[in-house]
Amino acid sequence: DSHIQYERVGADVTMKCGSMDWDAAVTWTANGTDIDESHLNGSYLILKNVDLTQSGQYSCYEGSSWHLKYQTYLRVGTPPKEPVLMCRSNNYPKGFYCSWHLPTPTYIPNSFNISVIHGTREMVCEKDAFPKNRCHIRYLQLFSTVKYKVTLTVTNALGKNSTTLTFDEVAIVKPDPPESVVAKPVPNNPRRLEVSWQNPSSWPDPESFPLKFFLRYRPLILDQWQHVELSDGTSHTITDAYAGKEYIIQVAAKDNDIGTWSDWSVAVHATPWTEEPKHLTTEAQVTETTSASTSSFMPPPTTKICDKGAVVGS
Amino acid sequence: MAASDSPSAALRRRDLCSRGIRLAGKMRSDVVDLLDTYVERQGLDASASVVAVEGVPAAAVERWDEQTGTQRLLENLAAYRAFRALLAQMLEEQREQLGEADAALGRALAAVLLQVSAFAYHLEELLRLESHGPPSEEGASPPPPSHLSLFEKKLRGLGVLRELAQWAVRSARDLRQIAKPSLGSSSAPSLAESP
Amino acid sequence: QNLKCITHNLHKMICTWDVSSKGRHGQTDFCYTTNDLPPPVCFKTKEKRVEILVPESSTTVTVTTNSVSGTAIATKEFEIHKKDVSFVPLTPRIFSLTPDFATSTLNLKWSDNGSVFPYGLDAIWQIQILRKEAMEKVTQVNYYSKLTHEDIILSWNWTSDMPLECTSHYVKLRCYINVTQFAGPKDWSDWSPVEEIPGKDSEPNGSGVFPQDTVVAVGSDVTICCVHEEGQQIQRMTYGPEIYPMIHLSRRSSAIRVLNASASDSSGTNAVCILSEDEMEGTVLFVGYAPDIPQNLSCETSNFLIVKCTWKPGRPSGLYGKRRTKYSLFERVSGKNVSCEDNEMSREHVCGFPVLADQKTYDFILGVSNPIGQTESSLLVDLIERVRPKTPEKVTVLGNSSTSVRLHWFINGSFAEIRLLCQIEISSGHSERKLHNVSVPGGKFSTYTAQLNTLHPYTKYQFRVRCSAADHFWKWSGWSRIEEHTTLEA
Repeated sequence: DSHIQYERVGADVTMKCGSMDWDAAVTWTANGTDIDESHLNGSYLILKNVDLTQSGQYSCYEGSSWHLKYQTYLRVGTPPKEPVLMCRSNNYPKGFYCSWHLPTPTYIPNSFNISVIHGTREMVCEKDAFPKNRCHIRYLQLFSTVKYKVTLTVTNALGKNSTTLTFDEVAIVKPDPPESVVAKPVPNNPRRLEVSWQNPSSWPDPESFPLKFFLRYRPLILDQWQHVELSDGTSHTITDAYAGKEYIIQVAAKDNDIGTWSDWSVAVHATPWTEEPKHLTTEAQVTETTSASTSSFMPPPTTKICDKGAVVGS
Repeated sequence: MAASDSPSAALRRRDLCSRGIRLAGKMRSDVVDLLDTYVERQGLDASASVVAVEGVPAAAVERWDEQTGTQRLLENLAAYRAFRALLAQMLEEQREQLGEADAALGRALAAVLLQVSAFAYHLEELLRLESHGPPSEEGASPPPPSHLSLFEKKLRGLGVLRELAQWAVRSARDLRQIAKPSLGSSSAPSLAESP
Repeated sequence: QNLKCITHNLHKMICTWDVSSKGRHGQTDFCYTTNDLPPPVCFKTKEKRVEILVPESSTTVTVTTNSVSGTAIATKEFEIHKKDVSFVPLTPRIFSLTPDFATSTLNLKWSDNGSVFPYGLDAIWQIQILRKEAMEKVTQVNYYSKLTHEDIILSWNWTSDMPLECTSHYVKLRCYINVTQFAGPKDWSDWSPVEEIPGKDSEPNGSGVFPQDTVVAVGSDVTICCVHEEGQQIQRMTYGPEIYPMIHLSRRSSAIRVLNASASDSSGTNAVCILSEDEMEGTVLFVGYAPDIPQNLSCETSNFLIVKCTWKPGRPSGLYGKRRTKYSLFERVSGKNVSCEDNEMSREHVCGFPVLADQKTYDFILGVSNPIGQTESSLLVDLIERVRPKTPEKVTVLGNSSTSVRLHWFINGSFAEIRLLCQIEISSGHSERKLHNVSVPGGKFSTYTAQLNTLHPYTKYQFRVRCSAADHFWKWSGWSRIEEHTTLEA
């Protein structure tokens, strides 16, 4: 008979040659390679303190007739550690998703089971096709003070573990970062930069659930960010930029009333408008000045985002 | 049942809505601050979950997006009238239990009570834009709680403030819905039909 | 065999015996003679016991066992001496066991059956308190009484170290009577039937945390218990911010022990029993101090209408609202009592007591109490020695010459019974201030007046006035407002 046998790393494994007697003459192979007699105790195969490399197919043949008497696939692994679970609503008020991962691999197949309880009601967590370790839940109720309790249980052949998260509806609301961030110099204004962006596309109803934004910017030559919070609108004019200095700009979003700030958007770069130099000598100089000041053209999307002169983040 | 949607009524509604949204936002931040003070002063565990408290209007609602504007206003008004009575009750209990000892908490409670009263009046104003106006107040106040122990009163207070904080969020959302100009029509949707 | 005699009342004794198996179902002929009763007294009995008089010295007993058909099977003679008779008091009967949940006190009442015995016997009552499902002994106490040949209901109180609601408490008692003149062996009575005070853990929906919303003194050791429904499990019990180890009381009750409780915040300290993530029960404990003896008690009158007493409360009790420390002013002479309106937050306290007609001396007792304790402070006051008039008002200056003015002022109050000493402060420009004292007879809500001479002509003066009791100075009133006046030209 042939089947899968799971064993823990470090375990001692004994395999019997099917129904063969202890003193029967047999031959054991691992992945087709004969196993040294030292590992045998009579017809039993003894594997001490197994490790991951000893996973494989083990077969036992009767000595004389070379009949296959026993075959198993040994999978060496570990029981699951407590899984890491995270739940978040980036499309409030539609619903929220939970995603999870194991802190360390188990090297053997694991199965995950998630239960979502809201008060006395169990809610369905629809598994996403991709990524695999994620599912999403539709809000049946809004503005509830009753906590959600999400329990994730991971099981494999060697053990079981679980983790539980308890949270309020509002606590997990975290939008995705703002999209299409664009920063442009303002002609004839050496200290201004015009920044605009869009609500994250995952946010379903910005009109009823408006977002507010947090803008941070700094010249590349400095480490200290400057911040400005904007309670409405998706654009802002920086008016205190250092003339001629290239700036890095990022935006974050948060629901106007609840939840936490999104991650920062992709960074964009821009340099404020600068005066045309008076003594124009060669054309090159002119070209070089122009490209330095008007870096607001749209780079092809394949350009690496943080390349000099790349201004659009998506 | 829709209000006569003259441009001035629509403008008045939008003005009331935007002022209401700001009032709800301020009320919410004050209630959240009050909640922190309350939890700390009453020696409670901030993460304690409080089972639904009798007489306290739950903010939780299903199919929120399908409610009409009138439903939203009526439910809001009923809630804030109840909160007005509940907060007054809490203030009375606070004085009875603590006397002058915790004047700061008493003042914070009184300030939120004032805002809740103002918001209730604001909702009544919005409902007056409708044909039949706000419902009368009889029987609005919640039944006085059967004898509660002091700890149960503390938990009840926590439940009241948590629900009020959620209501403040819901109210802002409701008012935004009501203030939404309906698609293609020049004037804002009458309250009865807003999505 | 084994004939034994016991007396419960020193007067009659109950004799019992064993019978061989053959004679178990037949009757018994029981005859006995005492040296002061020659002819034997006989009777038949099916019981294995008889009640006969306690012999003066000894008695001879003959017991004949008969078969069911009545034929004699065996006869045995016994000589019972008085010293062989055991004296065992009757099993005591508990008259009542009454719980006082507010104070966790049990009140036990039982009858001492004294009428059975002659005067003056010393009785020892051993009282046992048991608790929990396993009826563990909590304490055993000896209570001493003297029998008085009458049935007296004895009473005894016991305060439990835990709320009576926490679990069932049981009481039983037995008695030992020290009859010195009784020769035979003396023994404890049997234990009385157990009396139970059921805890909330034996009531269907008795769950809760106890004691409920109580007040204890700082430093107390407090037991707080959580009674829950069958099948529920307590996850943890906290007192304030701390988790405490639990003491199992019964399947439905566990407790924690808080030692040396420290003062709680104004809203009390929560004791919480967490049964599951969203189910908890709790109580609030107010830990404070008994009231301090009021310091600097002082009483005075400013208008002969009200006596105003002030004092410093001493150490704050830490109790607020309806549990705050309350003050009342009792006046012994008149027997009048006034409760004081006070605010526990103010550093100084004040209380008003009406001035009583024709009463000069006031023997005040300031009573202070809060749920933890009470105290008092007293003060004997002769009112006319404690006059501090109100600040003079409506000061007016009338100038009728270049060197003199007439000052008028009003004092709110009734001073008809005393003379007032008033001090007028006169100042002008850079010259040095002068004080002019004037004694005036007190009046009832009167305006007073004084003449000031030897002023300089055409000079701007500032006048202000204060007053006090002329004969028994206590304190000056406050200064009046300043009134300016320029004397006429010469």
